[in-house]
Amino acid sequence: MSLVIVLLLFAGLSEAAGRILPLLARRPGMPRNLVVGLLIGAGLVEAAVFTLWPLTAWTLAELPVSSPPAGEALEWTPGLAAPLLLCAVLAFPLLGPLLHLVLFVAVGAGLAGPLAAATDLGWWGAAGCVAVAGVGLGLAVEAVRRLVVRLSTPRTPEPIS
Amino acid sequence: MNDFLLWACVLGPVLLAEGLLARYEVLAYSAGFRAPTTELPEGMPYARGAAADAPPAAYLVYLDGIGKRRVRDTRDGGQLVKAVLAGAPELRVLGQVQPYSPLADPLADRPVWAWLRRHIGLLLFLHNVMQIFVAADHRYRPLYNRAVGSQIATQLRLAGYRPGSGVPVVLLSYSGGAQVATGAVGELHARLRCPLVVITLGGFHNGANDLSRVEQLHRLTSAYDRIERVGTWMFPQRWPLFRGSGWNRARRAGKVTVHRLDPATHLGPRSYISRDRTLPDGRSLLDRTTDTVISLIRARQDAPAATDRPVP
Repeated sequence: MSLVIVLLLFAGLSEAAGRILPLLARRPGMPRNLVVGLLIGAGLVEAAVFTLWPLTAWTLAELPVSSPPAGEALEWTPGLAAPLLLCAVLAFPLLGPLLHLVLFVAVGAGLAGPLAAATDLGWWGAAGCVAVAGVGLGLAVEAVRRLVVRLSTPRTPEPIS
Repeated sequence: MNDFLLWACVLGPVLLAEGLLARYEVLAYSAGFRAPTTELPEGMPYARGAAADAPPAAYLVYLDGIGKRRVRDTRDGGQLVKAVLAGAPELRVLGQVQPYSPLADPLADRPVWAWLRRHIGLLLFLHNVMQIFVAADHRYRPLYNRAVGSQIATQLRLAGYRPGSGVPVVLLSYSGGAQVATGAVGELHARLRCPLVVITLGGFHNGANDLSRVEQLHRLTSAYDRIERVGTWMFPQRWPLFRGSGWNRARRAGKVTVHRLDPATHLGPRSYISRDRTLPDGRSLLDRTTDTVISLIRARQDAPAATDRPVP
């Protein structure tokens, strides 16, 4: 279990690095302390979102049925979480966003197998739950990112006439 | 070791590591960790050709393909530069610009890369390909363009160029150099206020860069150039569908002229720069490419009235 936590923390940092590095290229001269602070803060948020992904997918899988599935709840295993360490590919030039998407599709497909085995949804139904959970969490964290950017952008004072 | 294991265990991680490290230089430039290099090795001139005591007909900056890894010309690119110098002594020619280094730091002179060059020379080409991808990525492109545009402007000034003099600057780019040439236009115009002509030879670029400051872009191409064709397929901004892209806006404005150099290929013994293959008129492929480049520059000189208007 502790290995999974470590993996998810590093995966969160990797995701944060993948998002912050292109930002650095567009905002030259950012103080190092700010960069490190952003990296750690964003890394923790991203790790929390990764942690919630199987839990959310499991909750969605429970919705269509009247009684809870008999199998064990969906959880990260080291094998399932390890590919997330490559999240920094987002910063890869030109192909980064595509590689990032491929990575998440592959990890999502990995989560769909155990979910399908623990429920009666079948693989495609389980994959749908994983996908909806992933997209929902992704949109939520994107909203938080945009809010942080909006709040952290200094407001231009009105010119004094 | 079978092919799959070789890719999965060796080449895959190397590609990934190189792809992630490729942005380091542009980040180091943007963060100000290192200042770009401006000095050339001892005894190397900032420009060749016409003397610096009078304004030349034009300054020509040669931006080489992915083989560029030192200040001196590469073997193939050097042949083209020499031929242009021999055929058009009225030009001042610069070949020292490092298109794939925002810090103007030649790859072959870096300690680790010098070792890699001796043992895995292919990695140097890979590094330069990655730099083209960095230059084409919308997140890094503005900064990359500024870095290389600034490098070219600095080298031109050291070579005697006076901003606002009206002497045209020709960016002659081969292959991936076209990505850098089209990207450098804005910065170059801002710093030197110079008339700009771009010539792409088998140009590989993403078509996203703004070409409104360019007088004319001459596209030297061939139906047998597969690498250039890949560029036109893989970058959406090169498709006619994306009407707002820099490339399509330049085309609609009549700034792009295509010149066919069939049957030349991008690389190899039949390349644009080959002196081994001859055409029916007896010229080598290199001679024809050289003649085309020189005639395009001289045609601009012969009709300056239409193009010397100050760019708004």
